[in-house]
Formats: sequence, C-alpha cells, structure tokens
Amino acid sequence: MEEKFEPKIIAFLCKWCSSAGSDLAGVSRMKYPPNVVPITVMCSGSISPNYILSAFKDGADGVLVSGCHPGDCHYIKGNYYARRRITLVKELLEFIGIEPERFQMSWVSAAEGAKYTEIIKDFVKELEPLGPQNKLRSNL
Amino acid sequence: MRKRIGFFICHCGINIAGTVDVKKVSEGLSKYPGVVHSEDYIYMCSDPGQSRMVEAIKEKKLDKVVIACCSPTLHETTFRNAAKVAGINSFQCEIANVREQCSWVHKDMKKATAKAIKISKAAIERARLNESLEPISVPVTRRALVIGGGISGIQSALDLANSGYEVILVERSPSIGGHMIQLSETFPTLDCSQCIMTPKMVEVSKHPKIKLLTYSEIQEVAGYIGNFKVKILKKPTYVDPDKCTLCDECTKVCPVAVPNEFELGLTRRRAIYIPFPQAIPATYTLDINNCPGLFPIACGKCADVCEPGAIDFDMKPEILEEEVGSIIVSTGYDLYGKEEMAEYGYGKYEDVLDGLQFERLLSASGPTMGKILRPSDHKEPKEVVFIQCVGSRDPELHCAYCSKICCMYTAKHAMLYKHHVHDGQPYVFYIDIRSGGKDYEEFVQRAIEEDGVIYLRGKVSKIFQEGDKIKVWGVDTLSGKVIEIDADMVVLAMAMRPSEGASELAKKLKIALDKDGFLAEAHPKLRPVESLTSGMFLAGAAQAPKDIPEAVAQASGAAVKAVNILSQDRLYHSPTIATVNLTLCTGCGMCVDVCAYEAIKLEEGKAVVNEVLCEGCGTCSATCLRAAIKVKNITPLQVHEMIKVALGG
Amino acid sequence: MVKLDDIKKECKSILEEGKVKYIVGYKRNNNYYMSIPAFIEKIEETDQLIWDPTCVYNLVRFLRDEKLRKERQKTPDTRPIGVIVKGCDSRAINVLLQEKFIKRENVYIIGVACEKSGVIEKKKLRKKFNEKNIKQIEFGKDNNFIITTEKGKTTISAEEILAERCIECNNNTPVIYDVLLGEKVERSLSEHFRSLEKFESISTEEKWNFWKKELDKCIRCYACRSVCPMCYCDECIADSISLAVKPDTTAEEKAQKIRWVEKSPVSSENFSYHLIRALHLAGRCIDCGECERVCPVDIPLRYLNKKMEKEASEQFGYTAGLDPEKPALVSDFKDDDPQDFII
Ligand code: SF4
Ligand code: SF4
Ligand code: FES
Repeated sequence: MEEKFEPKIIAFLCKWCSSAGSDLAGVSRMKYPPNVVPITVMCSGSISPNYILSAFKDGADGVLVSGCHPGDCHYIKGNYYARRRITLVKELLEFIGIEPERFQMSWVSAAEGAKYTEIIKDFVKELEPLGPQNKLRSNL
Repeated sequence: MRKRIGFFICHCGINIAGTVDVKKVSEGLSKYPGVVHSEDYIYMCSDPGQSRMVEAIKEKKLDKVVIACCSPTLHETTFRNAAKVAGINSFQCEIANVREQCSWVHKDMKKATAKAIKISKAAIERARLNESLEPISVPVTRRALVIGGGISGIQSALDLANSGYEVILVERSPSIGGHMIQLSETFPTLDCSQCIMTPKMVEVSKHPKIKLLTYSEIQEVAGYIGNFKVKILKKPTYVDPDKCTLCDECTKVCPVAVPNEFELGLTRRRAIYIPFPQAIPATYTLDINNCPGLFPIACGKCADVCEPGAIDFDMKPEILEEEVGSIIVSTGYDLYGKEEMAEYGYGKYEDVLDGLQFERLLSASGPTMGKILRPSDHKEPKEVVFIQCVGSRDPELHCAYCSKICCMYTAKHAMLYKHHVHDGQPYVFYIDIRSGGKDYEEFVQRAIEEDGVIYLRGKVSKIFQEGDKIKVWGVDTLSGKVIEIDADMVVLAMAMRPSEGASELAKKLKIALDKDGFLAEAHPKLRPVESLTSGMFLAGAAQAPKDIPEAVAQASGAAVKAVNILSQDRLYHSPTIATVNLTLCTGCGMCVDVCAYEAIKLEEGKAVVNEVLCEGCGTCSATCLRAAIKVKNITPLQVHEMIKVALGG
Repeated sequence: MVKLDDIKKECKSILEEGKVKYIVGYKRNNNYYMSIPAFIEKIEETDQLIWDPTCVYNLVRFLRDEKLRKERQKTPDTRPIGVIVKGCDSRAINVLLQEKFIKRENVYIIGVACEKSGVIEKKKLRKKFNEKNIKQIEFGKDNNFIITTEKGKTTISAEEILAERCIECNNNTPVIYDVLLGEKVERSLSEHFRSLEKFESISTEEKWNFWKKELDKCIRCYACRSVCPMCYCDECIADSISLAVKPDTTAEEKAQKIRWVEKSPVSSENFSYHLIRALHLAGRCIDCGECERVCPVDIPLRYLNKKMEKEASEQFGYTAGLDPEKPALVSDFKDDDPQDFII
C-alpha cells in the first residue's frame, strides 16, 4: 500500500505569544497532527525572508509564521514590520506560482492554544491534497 | 576543537515517555554528530536528574548540553544554573521542548517520537553554535531628573528624595505648583487645593535631596538608562532670590501691565512679578519678554526702588550639565485654546470662561476674592450655563478622546457656584456623565439633588450675546425640547491637551507620542508608567487626561520604577543582543529605523548597537538586507541549521 | 522638447566653473544607433554628448564606481560628479541617498525630463525594423520618433517602440536635480502596472510554468546584479558567508558557512537567487529596466520587481525613491497596513 502523504511543516513562532500559545495547547492537552516542527524565535519581526525560502528549499511542504497580535508584540512593533515583510514574501511566492496554501501567517496570542491547534489542523488538511512541495526544493 | 555535546531526555513521568519513545530518541541521538553522551531519565528537573547532568558534564568533559523536556519557560533557568554549577557557561545549555509542543499534543507514538528527534536535533544545532556569554553590566548614576513641577512632578520628586535619592526637579515657569495650585477646591471632598498643595511645595523647596531648578528648560538629553547626560538651560530671572525680601516695591513702579498667566488673563501683572503669593521659590521674576528692555536699560525703575539690591540686570542664562540615572516626565496639560473654541464665543464674549478661569473666580485668593462676579460688569451672575465636553469627544472637529475630569469638575463648579450664589441657577449641558471613581457618583448626585443643578442632556447649538445676556440655545435630547437660556455667564469644560512644548521635549528625550500628542506608555495595561525609552517614566496628565489622585498615584508609581534602577550599583542586561558585522554593514540605517529601543546608531557609516538598550528582538536582523546584524545565540546561521534538521534533512 | 544644446551648455558651464570632476552622460557609439555612456572631463568633450531615445542606461550606477574609486585614493578629488538622469534614474539617486550610500554633495544632478515620450525598447524595435539598417533614432515632434535608415527617415509614433517601463512610468520628470532641462508635463500614457495584468488571470500552475521556464534559463552570470544601481553591497548575500571568521572559529564552523543560495545554476538556486533579489529590491527598485536589458538569456526580470513595486504601492502606499528622508518600505509600517491573509 502506498504510504499516505504526510506534509512537513515548519512553524516559526515568536517566543512571547505564539510559542507560548502552542505551549498552552499542550498544557490543555489539545491534539493536532505531528507534521509541524516549531522553531521558536524571539519575535516575528526577526523572521527573515531567507528563513522561509530556506525552509522551502530544505523540503518544507508548508511554512507558518506566527507572532503576537498587532499591538501586543513584546518588543512593541516587531510584528508590524513582520507583517509588511511577510506580505511581500507571500505575494512574491504566489506570483511565481507557489500554491498560496503553502505559506501562511497567523497571529496567535499566549492564550490562543485552541487557535494554534486549529491552524495546524487546517494547515495539514490544506496541504494534503497538494502533495509534496518540489518546486523550490533544493535539487543539488 | 570538536564540540562535546551531552543530550538528556526527560520522561517527565509518563508525560513525555507516554507518547515519545524516549529510549529511541536518546539512542538515536547518541549517534548524532558531536553528541558524546546521551541518556534518558525519569525526572531531569529533580535534584538527582540535575546531578546526573552535572556529573556527565564533569566526567565526559561536555562543553554543551541539550535537555529535551518541558517548555523552556519552565526549566531553562533551572538547567542553565545547573550547567553553571558544572562549570560550563549557562548559554551552553539549550532546551528542546518535547512536552508542550510534542508529547502532550500528539497520540501516535511513532510519529511523536520522530518529531521529538527533529526538535532535539534542532536544539543541538542551535547549541552547537551558541556563544558563551556573560550578562552585560553598566554602572548607574544614582540620581533622578523630574521634568515638570506640577502635582505629579512634585510627588515623584518627593517620593524619590524620601527614598534617599538626589533629585533634580526642573520647571519651566517661575514657580512650581502647576495647574493644581490654581484650583479652588477639589472634588469630591472639596478640600482647598492650595491648602493641600502648598505644604508639598514647601517640602520640595526645603528638601536637602531636591535640587529645584525653576524657570529652566531641558535643552539636550544624551545617554541611556542609568547614564543620562542632560543639559538644562536656566533662564535669568534678574532677581537674586536670596536678597529679595518680597517687599513688592518693584511692582508698584513697573509701568508694564500684561495678562496674568496665573489668573488666566482675568487680571494683569507687571513685567516684574511673583506668579502668586505662595510661589516656590518665593521670589520675583523679571519677565524680559515684556520688560521695555535691559540692553540697554530702558526703564530700570524696579532696580531703583529695590532696597536690598536684589535686582541684577547682569544675570546671564546658564547651561547646567547634570548626570542622572533615570528621568520622570510630568509635563502636564493645557486647556484647549481660544482659537479652537470660537464657536462657543470663547475669547469673544467676556463672560464666557473656561474651567480654570472659573476656578480662579471661586478661589478665595483669586481676582474677585472668592466672589462669583462677571468679568464684564462685576455683577453676580444669576443663571450660569456649564457646558461639558467642549472640544472633547468630537473626532470630526476637535479631540476624539474624553478629557476624563470635566464631568466631575463641572459638577463641582455648579455646586460651588450654588454655595456662593444661593439664588442662582446652574445648568449643565452634558453628553453623558462619567463619574467613575471613589465617591464620584455620589458627588454628582449631591449636585443634582441637594444643590438643584439642572442637568440637560444634549449639545449646545448656538451661543451669542444679546444685551448683557449670553443666549444659549440647545436641545435637551431626553425630552426633545428646545432649550433657550438667557445666561449671565457660560463656563466651558475645555478638553485637556498635552502641555505646550511637550512634543519638542519628547523629541529630545526620544519618547514616543500617541496619536493625540500625549506621551506614549510602553504598554497600555501592563506598563502604564514606563515610556518606550528605558529608564524614562511618565507621570500625570502628560500621558493622558487624569484627575489628581490618579496623577499622584502614577507619580508614585513612576518614582518606584525609577528607584528600581537607582537602587542598584550596576544594571545587568541579557547579553543576547544584536551585533554588527562591520564588513557587511553599508550603513544604510534601516536597522536604526526599525529598532523600537533606539538601540542602534550610525557611527562613521556603520551601525553600532548599544548593548544596554538592545533587547535582542532581532527585528533589525530580519530587516538588514546584508545580514550584517544578528542577535547572539539565535543567529541566521543557527536558524538555518535548525531548519535543515527540523525537516529531517 | 529638451534641446541637446541646453544639455551641452549646462555641462560646459559646470565644467568651466570647476563645479564637477567629470560628467557621466550619453554619446554616440561610432557606427551603431544605440548610445553609450560618456565620461566627459574636458569642456571640448561636451560636444560628444547626445540626447535621444536610445539613452536607455541608468548612469546612476557609476556613482558606486566613483565612490569605490574615491575610497581607494589617498587624496581624492572631493568635487562631485555630474550625472545626467531621466525621471526613473533620479529616483535611484534618492534611494541611494535614503540608504546613505552617497551624500547629496557628491553628485551634481542634471535632470532631463522625458516629457511625453521616453526611451526605446530594443525588443519592440526589432519586431518592426531590421536593426542593422538603423543609423539613428531621434525624438520627433508630437510624440514621435524619427528613425533614420539607409533608405531615409521614417516617423513612427513613440508608443510603438517605447519601452514598456516608460509606458508604465509615473515619473517622467526627475524628482531630484540640481538643474532640470525640459519641461514638467503630465503624460497620458501612464498605465502603471499594465504589464502585470497578464499574470492576474492565469492559474498558479501556469505562473509556475512560466517562471520555471524563464528562471531555468539563468546562467547566474550576475549581470543583473552588476548593472543594478541598488546592488552596491560589498558582499552580496547571494554569495554570502555571514560568518565572521574569528581566531577561535573551528573548521567545522567554517564548513557550515551560511549559504542562502548555492552558486550552481540549477532550478532551486536560481529561484532562491531571484526571489531574494526581488525581495531585496522591494521598495528600492525604481524600474530603470537595466537588469532585464542586460540579461543575456532574456529573462523578464522586470516582472518580479514590478510585482513588488505594485504591492508596495497598493498595499502600503509606498513608492521607491520619492523621498530620501523617509524610512524605507520595510523599515516602516502603518498601524492599519492590510493583513487580510493573516489568520
Ligand atoms: S541594516 Fe544592515 S547594512 Fe544597514 S546599517 Fe543596519 S546593519 Fe548596517
Ligand atoms: S535586536 Fe531588537 S532591540 Fe536589539 S538592536 Fe536589533 S531591533 Fe533593536
Ligand atoms: S514578540 Fe511576538 S511578535 Fe514580537
């Protein structure tokens, strides 16, 4: 039997809200698919477009960037800069023909364990029909 | 030298081990490059667990450890301390979160185990490139600067001085006291404002720890938390306060008469004057802008009559340089002005007053000695209309915000008016009454029930003078009736706004402003007295409209925040801060623009990070097109490696 | 219409006054109809200057070379250099000022307004004429170009061979200059993002196929980077090694030098390179079209940059190179920047 496609997701989470929110999902024993590996960074503002491109190159089927809600960034305004920067990355990836589902951004607060759980569930569901991401994957 | 990495995975009872095959993880990682020790243990955070780690570090000469366990928010510090005990730098200890972000959220053991391995590898990759770091420390200048000598500034200064710290209190006008000293009685207790204020002012002037600089302005602020350097301009008063005996002879001969600021233009003062009898410092000031001239001396009469020879025309502006560790900004408010409120006849009709002017009429020491008399004909007004929300809550034309204190002081005005003029009738036009605060609601009710103040809900549509009456037309929206009042006097509860010059000062201090021009707090809920610039705090109406108790409370809060800094010999700061690769940096300054802490400066065309100000958020590093700036121990290279292994590569 | 004589006169006078070290402008390329850059140092050389629809190059690029040269010299001549700029090129100067790469006093800007026309696009020209026969192209009256071939002169409407970027241009008049030649006129042909329209209606797969085909052609010669006035970094992140090598840097660490992009011209690396390039030019590219012009394999690079320009403009109200005092596109934000895609 052919094995079911298991999308690989990298989630870049800011330490103060989104990573804390995903911790809360754990503390509340919510369940979501194990397809996502989180990488916690200090702030969504520190997520360089290079990280996203790297993840796709290294074979990610989907990439999530998540930070504090506007106004709530621990570092005051990092997420506002992230929003602009990520918008540009998002637009560019879609422009060159990467399925929009593959790259997502969310605001997840430290209290939103449930939201994080839903985001991951939906993300996996959306990625499944797309199959593996080979467009940007390294072919070296 | 090849790194010697130790890996430990915690069972956390069955919390981790129930879903993650910890043996398999530990075994798998034992073969991972650089890992020379790998084990699993039931409770890593327990004493025996920590001891195992310490032992392993010593025995196997590990230089880095990674512990796969619960979220780093819980035990990162525990393990880092243990690592230090074992003799390695605390930053050589990394946590892999395999509980909250793995075992607790998954069911399938095989998949959870595979994920735990990826998470652990990512942590190892991060650890591999971690630098050993020690906390950054800087000395603290243990003195404070308070800007603005109203009630907030006075309170902050006294709290700091009474905690044993030296304070420099800077006030730009000739006396401290601010707006509070102008008030008659204060709501809701009706105690006399001057009676409660003057003792505090005197305390300031007598306090050995407070250096009071009135008639002075901040010129320049440099430095950073714990180490500010401030230049203060002390303007000449041309009167030596030590010699001045307050005999008042000079004002009798001075030929100049200009509107008296303290009495809000209801009376006039001389070019040489004392702002009000209880002024602190108790001395006269020669107002050079209104004096016919000193260079050369055009009049000089005051000096002629001054027996003690206190008047010194040769006094020069002085620039004082002070070093302080913390700054409190309490620059207060001004009322919305004449120009803006012409629609209500303010500035056009003599008997249309603003709230502060009415305070002066009520004040026993005011221009009418506490009698309520019309400025135009000195008759006692029998019908007085008070209008609330003048300029406030009017996003189209004026300020969108609520000035917060007007409901209460209008009730007080109406009440006190009634106490003075028993047969008078006060009316209040209001949008709604906001009387949140201890005893505030009761106070308003008392005005309505006991003092017969008539409250009319609605806005005033027109105000105009006819004969000696001021016609006030409006609608009572509750009854739908058109209201026309032939008033003798109208009092406008003007919006509060940041005091004049606050925005220029904020620029010098590098403190952000909010959309209305008030000083912006660092966080609306959790950091309401801090500014975004570390080491600078906010007190009073400079931050937002507030009443006296709130201003005082915030002032004390700000003082404690300042004490947090001043009470230390040195400040310690996390060393995971941004550093610049000078070869790559082109000096474009984009990082400077994005840093929320003003931690980066361009020096000779290169970015330079202030280690004390940088919070290590990394926003600069994602902005820099050349990857020239990065935060220690979470560098792009580290993330790059983490991505690779997190994807199983 | 801009008179060549005015340009020459201006250049002569600033050279005479010693205001500038030299001037970068355009001159004729012996037997070819296209112009080439001219470096004018002497007054008599100003006669070589030309101004015609083949003045396509963005000469601002040479400010970088000048800066590097000056850095190497022990006692550099600190006088500014003069540069002839079109509207688009002038915005490049603003970007360089914004990024503090150059100082205002280092450059004397001779702005030339494109008025109602612009410069030619060779691709379009080739479709209509045999390039070999063309001797010269000049601005004609009424928004026409006059083309001289062996057989004589033909007049054609500028729009037919006008560069696509000129048709989409909003800044036909330089936005920063010391002297402006020609007139500030509104132009009717601005259709700002028209070249992107064709991407709007096609599917994700079609987009991918388009770009896959185009970017797979890339041979990584980096001509696009070399010609771009914004690509002035000493070390490009595309060849990057953002690891400072210190005495205690281990061999292992060195082996792990960060490489966002590998040098091999394979699909994934070509994509990486061009995506990073587009992102790095977002809010900086002023659409001078130089990268696309120099690409030896004809990759339509402009679209990538244009796409970023469009999003910057439509979502954030930002246009590159208008105001050197303002923060850059990505070092600024508005509280209400759009965020519809964010969950
Ligand atoms: S953004 Fe980068 S290149 Fe620009 S000044 Fe900062 S560190 Fe230097
Ligand atoms: S890491 Fe954050 S706080 Fe530090 S310099 Fe960069 S932007 Fe400023
Ligand atoms: S800390 Fe969460 S987005 Fe900045």
